[in-house]
Amino acid sequence: MTVIPELCSGCRICELVCAAKHFGVNNPKKSAIRVMVAYPHPVIRMPIVCSQCKEPPCAEVCPVGALYRINDIVKLDPDLCISCYKCVEACPFGAIYAHQDCKEPIKCDLCGGDPECVKNCPKGALRMIPEQALGEIRRIGNLLSYTHMKEIEFYEKGEKKVIHYTEVGKEEL
Amino acid sequence: MIKSGYFKKHLTVDLTTGKAERVEISDSFLERYIGGRGFGAKLVWDNLRKNDFRVKPLGPENLLVVAPGPLTGAYLPSSGKNSFITISPATGLYGDSSIGGSFGVELRQTGIDLLSISGRGPELSILFIDNGETAIIPSPELRGKSCLEAEGLIKSRLGSHGVSIAVIGVAGENLVNFACVNTDWSRNAGRTGIGAVMGSKNLKAIVVRGDQDLPVDNLKELMAENDRAVTYLRQHPYFKLWQREGLMTVVDYANSIGILPSYNFKDSVFARHEQINGQIMLDHYKIGDSACFGCPMCCGNICLVKDGKYSGVVTEGPEYESCAMLGPNLGVDNFAAILSANQLCDELGIDTISTGNLVGAIIEGYEKGIINLSDLDHREITWGEEDAILEMIRKIAYREGIGDLLAGGSKAIIERWPAMDEIILQVKGLEQSAYDSRAALSMALAYATSDIGAHHTRAWTLARELEEGKDWSIEEKVDLLIYHQTLRPLFDMLGVCRLPWIELGLNERHYENFYRYVTGNDLSLEELLKLSNDIYDLTRLINSRLGVSREDDSLPYKVRECPSMTGPNAGRVIDPEEFQEALSLYYKKRGWDEEGHVSAKSAKSFND
Repeated sequence: MTVIPELCSGCRICELVCAAKHFGVNNPKKSAIRVMVAYPHPVIRMPIVCSQCKEPPCAEVCPVGALYRINDIVKLDPDLCISCYKCVEACPFGAIYAHQDCKEPIKCDLCGGDPECVKNCPKGALRMIPEQALGEIRRIGNLLSYTHMKEIEFYEKGEKKVIHYTEVGKEEL
Repeated sequence: MIKSGYFKKHLTVDLTTGKAERVEISDSFLERYIGGRGFGAKLVWDNLRKNDFRVKPLGPENLLVVAPGPLTGAYLPSSGKNSFITISPATGLYGDSSIGGSFGVELRQTGIDLLSISGRGPELSILFIDNGETAIIPSPELRGKSCLEAEGLIKSRLGSHGVSIAVIGVAGENLVNFACVNTDWSRNAGRTGIGAVMGSKNLKAIVVRGDQDLPVDNLKELMAENDRAVTYLRQHPYFKLWQREGLMTVVDYANSIGILPSYNFKDSVFARHEQINGQIMLDHYKIGDSACFGCPMCCGNICLVKDGKYSGVVTEGPEYESCAMLGPNLGVDNFAAILSANQLCDELGIDTISTGNLVGAIIEGYEKGIINLSDLDHREITWGEEDAILEMIRKIAYREGIGDLLAGGSKAIIERWPAMDEIILQVKGLEQSAYDSRAALSMALAYATSDIGAHHTRAWTLARELEEGKDWSIEEKVDLLIYHQTLRPLFDMLGVCRLPWIELGLNERHYENFYRYVTGNDLSLEELLKLSNDIYDLTRLINSRLGVSREDDSLPYKVRECPSMTGPNAGRVIDPEEFQEALSLYYKKRGWDEEGHVSAKSAKSFND
């Protein structure tokens, strides 16, 4: 799952749906995703959720091997877990949560691959992006903002349009 | 029958003695008063009776009620609302104001449905409700701190970002009649001077941290109903526009139908509206969205001024009201200056609507020679003069010079200069909000009969009348008004936002189902509306007992005598005779007598 903080409005719908799905309760404090807000210096809202690391620090510190990676998801085995919360402290993003009512730490399991939070985010701030496409938006942004482009105006069906292009310099030919 | 939806706990705090207690709430109370302003009106009424109707708004005997509703925080769209209810220092009458963000949700998650605060603390303090624990923490170091600074200081002192804070600024401490309460950095309970009531209690902030499950009778059905409502909202043609511009989209609309106040309501259009509209905000200032809890519509806009004189100003806003009152109403056509004024109001903790209204009146009063230069501390002020306007806003909060008088609101200004009665638009002491009513009888009547004064929260019939109902009979207009005054307060009782309904047309039937699935109480929308209507009787009863009668349900002078100069509604005013006819019909339909008093039978029903 990829988070785009620039799009997050801080509505916390992701928290509501996560808790309802995993615990069957109306309690945003029992979710595996939380929106953090900094204001006004700097201004940012960011949902914090597990990155499903390939080398998960949470699994490394787990003394009983309750955390393991399978099918690209880092899972928590509640039967093995001894609720020591070492994983909560070890996660570099703070993306594993604790709640007094819950024995085990609360950790994102991607809802098995089709996360509810992604489906319900009204801003599209949470997305499932295949690994090979990561960075694509930045790459395209970089491409489109290339500063040496030229432009010409033209009319199509009476509507004014602009086309951008790059030109090979004569001296380079 | 109530099966769920409530913790059935009422936290009472007496700041004088420091005593805090969780008391049981009866089922009959929950069934009749639902929550939010329903709870608040009943507690305020009981407190008035206990004190023999001698309650000074800023005295320790005044009760401040903080009330979310049974749907606050629930799994449904825009459920983050919380109401503050008290006797208002602006009007001396019933007053309430609601707030979005997450405060109400967090408050409920501490395990209570209702908080009431009485007395006065010996020193400036914060009230910290941390799940089941309640503490009053002396915090003299917060005196004079702005709302945002105080919120930051409290969070770092408690070492937690996981708290929600309702805080007052300097204006609240200084008992400015229109001081507001600020939460989540910049959401405000703006109207009726709730901030001054907190200030009078020496209460700088209410801090809450709650982790408990919110009781819901049938979460599965609630989720399905939510999905139906959200699906409707998301496919609405204006949904994306709403996310992008929020209430700023209203600027162009208000200008096009001639209801945008400019130059202290001299006019109802603003020639340079394109310099301060939603598009300008998007093109040059907006850096992020902001939503209240559970809201897909995210009407909040976070704006930053990136260059020029106001460079570095960052604020959540403006929304339409703030933009109109601090912009066109003061002749300001510079969006960056509006942002700066908006930020200043948020920091100081004063209501942007009353502020814009009063500063506009002062400018006009000075222009007309009612107010002298010496009254203005020898500082000239004219339309669009940004520096002088910002200076005056600051003076209000600190009660310096002319600001000391303005801090008393329209009542104090009219007392000082009786001729200003013809300049200021207010009803019952509350300054009118940014929708001109001179072309719409139902809206003028809405301001006149609103239980808190000239605010549009109870009814916003303006667009409907101007778009569809210009030729309607008086009766049709009155019916529309009463429907608004019944449905809109119901949202404030349930603890949800009305914008999905009023702006995107979400069917109000959804709320019948939301209420049913949360509480298990099987009431129809009509039955819920009847309960809301009862609360309107109750707030009227409160106001009647505090001296309100027919003559107080009045039109501001300009609305009946001074037509706006240009635009589609140029030349139009409300005919006082037609208004009185409508008022009589309104009373009759409500079952009130000719003087606007509720029936003895209805009045008695609130005494148990």
